[in-house]
Amino acid sequence: MTKLLRLAGLAVVLVVSLLFAVFVGDQGPWYFAWVIGTVMIILISGAGAIMLDAQSNLSSDEEI
Amino acid sequence: MEFIDPNVVDLSRFQFALTALYHFMFVPLTLGLTFMLAAMETVYVVTGRQIYKDMAQFWGKLFGINFAIGVATGITMEFEFGTNWSMYSHFFGDMFGTPLAIEGLMAFFMESTFVGLMFFGWDRLSKQAHLAITYLVALGSNLSALWILIANAGMNMPEGAHFDPETMRMQFESFVNLVFNPDAQAKFVHTSVAGYVSAAMFVMGISAFYLLRGQHRQFAARSFRMAALFGIISTVAVITLGDVLGRLDYEKQPTKIAAIEGLWHTSKPPFEPWILAALPDDAKQENHFEVGVPLVLTPLITHTFDQPITGMHELEDAAGPRIRSGIEAVSALRRYGVTHSDVDLALFTQHEQDMGYGLLAARHAPNQDVTNIPENQIDAVVKATQPDILPNVFVTFWSFRFMVFLSLWFFALFAISAYVSLKRRLEHNKLLLKLCMWSIPLPILATEFGWITAEAGRQPWTVFGWLPTFLSASSHGVSYMVFSLIGFVLLYSVFIAAELYLMFKFARLGPEHDSMEPHAQHDAPKPSAFDMHPTAS
Ligand code: HEM
Repeated sequence: MTKLLRLAGLAVVLVVSLLFAVFVGDQGPWYFAWVIGTVMIILISGAGAIMLDAQSNLSSDEEI
Repeated sequence: MEFIDPNVVDLSRFQFALTALYHFMFVPLTLGLTFMLAAMETVYVVTGRQIYKDMAQFWGKLFGINFAIGVATGITMEFEFGTNWSMYSHFFGDMFGTPLAIEGLMAFFMESTFVGLMFFGWDRLSKQAHLAITYLVALGSNLSALWILIANAGMNMPEGAHFDPETMRMQFESFVNLVFNPDAQAKFVHTSVAGYVSAAMFVMGISAFYLLRGQHRQFAARSFRMAALFGIISTVAVITLGDVLGRLDYEKQPTKIAAIEGLWHTSKPPFEPWILAALPDDAKQENHFEVGVPLVLTPLITHTFDQPITGMHELEDAAGPRIRSGIEAVSALRRYGVTHSDVDLALFTQHEQDMGYGLLAARHAPNQDVTNIPENQIDAVVKATQPDILPNVFVTFWSFRFMVFLSLWFFALFAISAYVSLKRRLEHNKLLLKLCMWSIPLPILATEFGWITAEAGRQPWTVFGWLPTFLSASSHGVSYMVFSLIGFVLLYSVFIAAELYLMFKFARLGPEHDSMEPHAQHDAPKPSAFDMHPTAS
């Protein structure tokens, strides 16, 4: 049941995102770019940190 | 219109500029830090590593100081429209009031409510729920900026309104046009990402400070890496949107773009140089010296190789007929107010688009009333009004250049920092770390220059092409203005001093919880109002 609800929730998010993309992407391209761009900036900076975790042995005194 | 003392207008402008510039010392960090906190917390939720929670909490504490002190400075500005700019509020209140009210109701409440949950909810909410709250705070703070920038764009490029001769004010026409005004979009994204740049420099600079001291190394390295990547993409975005704004100014605010570029005569494509430095002389209407890069200006502004950019002298010449037509419009409107005759209304409608230029001419008319101008004086009034259509070129030209030069510095610094961080050579590059530290205030400075470019460049108008600034103020006495100005300076200086004191204090102390370096924990400061989550983790 929880799985089904989660799936339904994700489906709603998908539909809302699509509607948002169609409407705002058309009417307000820069607003749309802001949403996509902000998500991208967050993901890339987060990925950078995770990469550092992978690069380093957390407890050592090696160069950072 | 009522006669307004020019000294009161100048003082009102000075007061507004001062309060806006003070306010915007706080805003960029709020806009950007919230999304940086969201990024850190996202990594915490995804990886489950404690250090990212430590990061979100520590930078969250510095955000809290900025938010608590900065929020008050914005509220006074909203009242200033009513107290010092009552003529403007009457004329443009319909258009301006709507986004301002939405900002207050939706974004501001949303932001304030969720800020509380964000600070005090660490132990009370699940990881995911807390993360959602942090995103809502970020969204809320940026949405509140959105509505203010929609209002500001309405002043720069009025869309979604028309002038109503019955009520003598701009009436709302289309909410969609107001919100999706291209200038609003570009301004919002430019300003929001300027906040990202400011926050990234702030986090990177303070992290550099810890690395230089060899403290909280793992904490600082991760914060630095995230900030450098956050910053480099944001800087590219701010430059891209800066270009869009320049192009919009070229299309809709020709006097602003000509002043920004110090262009007294229409450009000759494609060879016109982009002036790097010059000494514009507003009185003589010329530049004293110029150093430029050939071939750059035309493609930079027009995105073509053959379109000219109209110079300020040519814009003054083109304004002559509009001023004359505007005088007709204002005179017909005056008569219509008394007679309500269709003839006067038809005449007004014919000249309506130039009404603002007629109002601009009022400064040179007896008793600031164009209907008092004798027929044989009209030419002289038109001639005297022509130079008034230009903003202060020196201020607009240089504030724009400082903003642009600084953005190039940010680009270089973030790019090198990201590279060195990815190579894991940060501690070998002490000079780079010092440069990062010293650059902390620069994006805030660039933001201030941005606002000066936008607002000084819009002059002589509050509503571009429709309402001159000198007719927008309230009819106060000079002493009232001086008194309130002194009050603001004192109060806001105390805010800034408090902000700087607390920021320095807590940044120096470093993270209270550093799971990677428990032995390096600072001596816990005495509990204070800003200790938002003393027992978390
Ligand atoms: C090459 C880089 C840049 C260009 C070409 C650029 C261009 C512009 C232009 C043309 C305006 C005036 C908009 C108007 O007509 O009202 C403006 C305003 C502004 N700029 Fe920039 N800018 C640049 C970089 C930056 C940076 C690095 C910051 C801050 C970190 C910044 C912050 C602002 C702000 C806060 C405003 C006022 C709000 C607005 O009108 O959007 N800009 N910029």
